[in-house]
Amino acid sequence: MYRTAANRLLHHASLIKNNGGSHLRRLPVLGTVITSSRFSTTADLQTSPNQTFHPSDSSTSSSTVGDDSRQGSKNTRAEYVEAQARVLQASLRHVIKFGWSEEVMIAGAKEVGVSPSIVGSFPRKEETLVEFFMDDSLQRLIHKIVSGEELQQLIPSQRISKLAHPMNGPTSFKQRAMLDDEIWHAAGDEASDIDWHVKRTFLGGIYSTTEIYMLIDRSPKFCDTWLFLDDRATYLAEAVGAGMGSSLQGFAGKVFQR
Amino acid sequence: MALRLLTRNLRNRISPNLCSASLLHSHATSFGFKEVREEEKSQMVGKVFSNVASNYDLMNDFMSAGLHRLWKDRLVSKLSPFPGMKHLDVAGGTGDVAFRILESINSIRRRALQDPINDDLQEETRIYVCDINQNMLNVGKNRALERGLGEDKSLVWVQGDAEALSFEDNSMDGYTIAFGIRNVTHIEKVLTEAYRVLKRGGRFLCLELSHVEIPVFKELYDLYSFSVIPRLGEVVAGDRESYQYLVESIRRFPPQEKFASMIADAGFQKVEYENLVGGVVAIHSGLKI
Repeated sequence: MYRTAANRLLHHASLIKNNGGSHLRRLPVLGTVITSSRFSTTADLQTSPNQTFHPSDSSTSSSTVGDDSRQGSKNTRAEYVEAQARVLQASLRHVIKFGWSEEVMIAGAKEVGVSPSIVGSFPRKEETLVEFFMDDSLQRLIHKIVSGEELQQLIPSQRISKLAHPMNGPTSFKQRAMLDDEIWHAAGDEASDIDWHVKRTFLGGIYSTTEIYMLIDRSPKFCDTWLFLDDRATYLAEAVGAGMGSSLQGFAGKVFQR
Repeated sequence: MALRLLTRNLRNRISPNLCSASLLHSHATSFGFKEVREEEKSQMVGKVFSNVASNYDLMNDFMSAGLHRLWKDRLVSKLSPFPGMKHLDVAGGTGDVAFRILESINSIRRRALQDPINDDLQEETRIYVCDINQNMLNVGKNRALERGLGEDKSLVWVQGDAEALSFEDNSMDGYTIAFGIRNVTHIEKVLTEAYRVLKRGGRFLCLELSHVEIPVFKELYDLYSFSVIPRLGEVVAGDRESYQYLVESIRRFPPQEKFASMIADAGFQKVEYENLVGGVVAIHSGLKI
């Protein structure tokens, strides 16, 4: 859901942008860099071996040891983070069967060949898995955007991840904000004034309502949800054109042409 | 480096006469504030626990005002037990931690009632309770009977030495030691053994009385420890000496940061600690990868 809705919005935005042209242009390369998330995929670990691991955020006082004591320790600290990431990655595959629960993480650990006790080392287990999934999705989305691939192709393969979407999963405000940011940037929006916040809020709103719509949608392949999304996106474009400010005139103009 | 200097300074402030015996590597070791030969320490500790065994749980309740139950609950919840796990509870003589782990696993199983996989796994669950003192183990076995866990074959009572465990390498999913590690002669050996028996992904958890640094609270705690507890021991258990040993051994045990670095030295990663009640107890944890 996360990926597909984002893709569709992007597609919309890109179509709007490219309306004048005869063929689909390659999307512009992203200028933004996502700030380090708590758990990075192994690809990211290779690029940033010195990433520090933040201590658990329990309410009682706790701390992690070994930050500055040994030079060689940096690699070993990355080791357990990598092992944890692999467990989470493997767990995601079992989410269909077990849902978002501790069992699924135990299954993931067994698959990777690590004792399921490692699940206890995650401060907030199920939430960690969901966050990992969302971060992972976001990273993949960014990679797709940067490489300019045809985003529509993503949609069939995401059906499965949609089914696994947590009904009661905690929605992280920060991740949502990042996603909104990505979508707007991919659509070529460069505005940095007050509109920036308004647009992102709008987009966040559309995303949330679409998500809720999807929860009760029974139509084949969620086509009703997509229609809903299309309507909302059009509404957004109109609202943007109508009230947002001069920096968006060009953007709005193209929308009305459509 | 700075840490060692700091702890040395602290020790010098507390008791200048003991600087020579401050390192636990030396042939002399500490028995409370007394300095004793290594061979003698385990004997003396043995006597203490033979004396206290029958009243151990009662005294725990008195001294901690019942809080020790919550601390052990917290320890087990941090462990996150799962059906089919192989767990080793060291110095767990009277079984407090082991019972909690078993009950936690049983409740997981009850929640997943129709799951045949979990039932099979449940058969494989093994909680080993290891203690050097047979008296403590006997008390534990009796308590198991009282709680209705006497027939449960998941519980295995083993007499053994934490510094030289009889278990195989990479055989345990979890290792706990609650209020036991300050009694051993060589902490490093215990940590190394813990690392050896744990599987990859296994976790080490240690619940222990630790150091309080909060200004006013520290003084109150010291007062309580040195005035109230030995007296309680005398009145309730008829044994002042053992409880004098107890409060002294707490002060001699390394502070939180130092102990955490010792755990890291044994090979554990993601070493963390959590202070409870301002540092009166601390739960240290480490991960074997």
